[in-house]
Order: sequence, then C-alpha cells, then structure tokens
Amino acid sequence: MYLVADINVEICAAKNCKLCTQYCPEANTILYSDELGKDKGFKYGSAYVAVDRCKGCAQCVWVCDNMAKNHAIKMVMIDQLPQAALTENITYGEKSTTAVLTSPVIG
Amino acid sequence: MSLDYVKFSNGFEKFMPKEYRDMVEHGPFGKKVTVSQMGSFKEVLEEHPMCAGCAMTLFIRLAMIAFPNPEDTITVGTAGCGRLAISQAAIPFVYGNYGDQNGVASGLSRGLRLRFGDKPKDVVVMAGDGGTADIGFQQVLHSWFRKERFTTIMLDNEVYGNTGGQESGMTNRGAVLKMAPLGKKFEKMNMVELAKVAGCAYVATVVPNNPRRVESVIKKAVLVAREIGPSYIQAYTSCNIEYAIPTDKVLEDAKAVENDRYQFQEYITEEAKQYLTERYGYKEFLAKPAAPAAAISGKV
Ligand SMILES: Cc1ncc(C[n+]2csc(CCOP(=O)(O)OP(=O)(O)O)c2C)c(N)n1
Ligand code: SF4
Ligand code: SF4
Ligand code: SF4
Repeated sequence: MYLVADINVEICAAKNCKLCTQYCPEANTILYSDELGKDKGFKYGSAYVAVDRCKGCAQCVWVCDNMAKNHAIKMVMIDQLPQAALTENITYGEKSTTAVLTSPVIG
Repeated sequence: MSLDYVKFSNGFEKFMPKEYRDMVEHGPFGKKVTVSQMGSFKEVLEEHPMCAGCAMTLFIRLAMIAFPNPEDTITVGTAGCGRLAISQAAIPFVYGNYGDQNGVASGLSRGLRLRFGDKPKDVVVMAGDGGTADIGFQQVLHSWFRKERFTTIMLDNEVYGNTGGQESGMTNRGAVLKMAPLGKKFEKMNMVELAKVAGCAYVATVVPNNPRRVESVIKKAVLVAREIGPSYIQAYTSCNIEYAIPTDKVLEDAKAVENDRYQFQEYITEEAKQYLTERYGYKEFLAKPAAPAAAISGKV
C-alpha cells in the first residue's frame, strides 16, 4: 500500500491560499474547485488531490503546515480514503474545476 | 508549430484520451496563463517517471507554465533526469545526443527563422549541470559566443543524478558522492560569469521555492532570446536521491541553498532592457522617479 495526500475541505476552504499546487512537483495533481467548500457553506472553494497522479512526496503537507500555516493536508494510505478525486472524474471549467469523488481503489 | 497542431483532426475528437481533450479545451495554448492560476487549467506536462518530490520536476512544471507562447515553442534536451519529464509535455521536444543540445538548438533556431521569418518561434534548451557545464560545455559556450538566439536553462542538481552520483563541474568542493568517494577537489564552476563574458544578453539564477520568480525570469529569458541574443537561466533543482534529501524537506533545502550559494542574481544588457520595455511593456527597467531632495540629503 502507499501514501497519497488528502486535503481536508473544511480546513482548506477557510483559507484557500492556493499555495500547495504551486509547489507540488507533479502537474495536474492538486487542483481547485470553487464548489468544494462552497457547498458546505464556506466562502471559498478548496484544493483537492487527483490521487492517481500523486507520488506521495508530502511536499504539499510541508507547504500547508509551514507556509500556509493551515494544516489542511495529511498523508493517508490510498485504501483508507473512502472517496477521492481521480483524473477521469475531473472536469475543467473556466476558472475552476469540479470532481466527482469515488472510491480510489478498485474492488 | 502553431495553434493548429494541438487541434483535433475532424472526426477524431471522440477517440482522443480525456487528458488530451482537456489539454486542447482547457490548456494554456493561445491564452496567457500564470502561476497564480495553477490548479484551474490543464497543464501541458503529463505524467512522467521522475522521482517523487524531485525539485527538478517542480522547476520544469513551472518553466512550462512560464513559456510565453507554448504553442510556438520547441524544447531541446539531452541525457539526464530532466528529459524524462520534458519529453512528456505537449510541446515538441528534440533530444540531442549527450552534450549536443546547444549545437542542435543553434541549427533549429536558425532554421525556424529562415522558415518563419519574424514570427516568433521559441527554442528553449533544458539540460542538467553535467550536460551543460561538462559534456556540453564547448557547444554551450560557442553558441553564446556566436550569439545564437535561444534560451539555455541549466537544471543544476550539482551531480550526475541519472547515472548514480558522479561529481560534475557544478558540484561543490568537498562534496562526497557515491561515485566521488574522496570528495570533489575543485570549486563549483562559475557559469553565470562565463555566460556574461561569452555574450548572453540575459542571465539569471533561480530556485524553485519561488514560483513567481521562476515564472518571471523564464518569460524574460525567452522574450530576450527572440531578438536580442542568448539567454541563460541557472536553476538549483536538488536531487533527493544523491543528496539524501527527504522529499518533504526539499523546500527547506532549497531555501538553505538559496541563502548559501543561490541568491537571486539577474543580469540584463541595456539593449535587452530597452527591448523588453518598448516591445513587451515591461515597467521594471524604467528609470525610477527621483527621490525627494530631503530624502537624499538626509535630515536637515
Ligand atoms: C555520450 C554519452 N555519455 C554518457 C552518457 C550517460 N549518461 C546519461 S545521463 C548522464 C549524466 C547526467 O547528468 P546531468 O547532466 O548532470 O543531469 P542529471 O541526471 O543530474 O539531471 C550520463 C553520463 C550518455 N547518455 N551519452
Ligand atoms: S496550502 Fe493548505 S490552505 Fe492553502 S490551498 Fe493548499 S490545502 Fe488549502
Ligand atoms: S504528496 Fe507530493 S505529489 Fe502528492 S499532491 Fe502532495 S506534493 Fe503533490
Ligand atoms: S535521481 Fe535525483 S534528479 Fe533524478 S529524478 Fe530522482 S531525485 Fe530527481
């Protein structure tokens, strides 16, 4: 089993600084959704991780803890995530993206 | 090489993979995208086999976002880790033999000018420190002496990463590596000064822990190379494997190295300043308004 990054929407949406995606080494991996967060009544949207692209380096955890000082990201075993975003379920819009969350492991 | 090359051929759209469709419809082609919009558009860089948490990967990712016209850009690379990612982008990539990259880029950039005239087609070389300062040194220096108009980017991880840890000219004196067990005996080469002496019109050093600065220097370097002369960017892009940097400490390491030997440096000729100001509306090179007299003479 392996670790991937998991962003807590409630904690992220309170700040929504968009720093983590600027420092994730992998392209198209940490994305933003205006809907995530707003659908829970927050003013901002939230970052989320396309877990099929995440290589588990935990740099985003360092960025959120030390630069954003928001502690919204944790490393989690992929099979411990009940739901996650996968590239195939992500839709790009004009200024934001949306993701339908599904089980990240098959079976 | 134009917006046309990324479009779907009639009838093929439904057979294209999702990633490709996303890139055509929501990628950076024909638009201006910036680092601050990251996470909301499809990037041209796709999945690749570089190590988890590699700072070189982050730098390449940022560099591609910074290209002023990605649809009119060709990258040139060579043996080394970086090409593993650079080749996985929706930007044409030419693979020079190890060390040949600046020779290949010279011919390519001249050929593109003959073929397309004044229409800008940008050539950007990205190669490791071994490829640039050791094996390719002669070709790099001569391309600068000849004032070839393209951008050279050194991905400086201070080691031959791809082949398991030999010292390069850019390794620091004293560094012990797997295949330099006695420690390097010579100083790190000063490629920045060499670039200035050899005639580069724009030279900058940068670290990936400042994404906006990476964006800014790459844009300037590519624009200057369109008309004025060669440009050189030297980026510190650590190797987690050969320097045993835990992946979640890569940015801490980058900060420490920035403070130690990679402070931001930028050199630009007067001609290049004038060109960026007049042609592309840059304001940073305009003469600063004179300070009020009191501030100059101090307290009276
Ligand atoms: C002519 C030739 N000699 C040697 C090699 C083997 N080789 C492949 S990558 C590499 C070193 C790359 O080091 P560097 O340019 O610093 O890039 P890095 O992998 O560190 O990013 C070498 C020696 C080769 N491919 N071709
Ligand atoms: S760094 Fe943290 S707070 Fe900022 S966008 Fe990322 S997860 Fe949210
Ligand atoms: S763990 Fe690494 S690869 Fe995964 S999202 Fe975070 S920074 Fe990106
Ligand atoms: S070997 Fe080093 S430079 Fe090469 S991909 Fe891995 S961490 Fe990056």
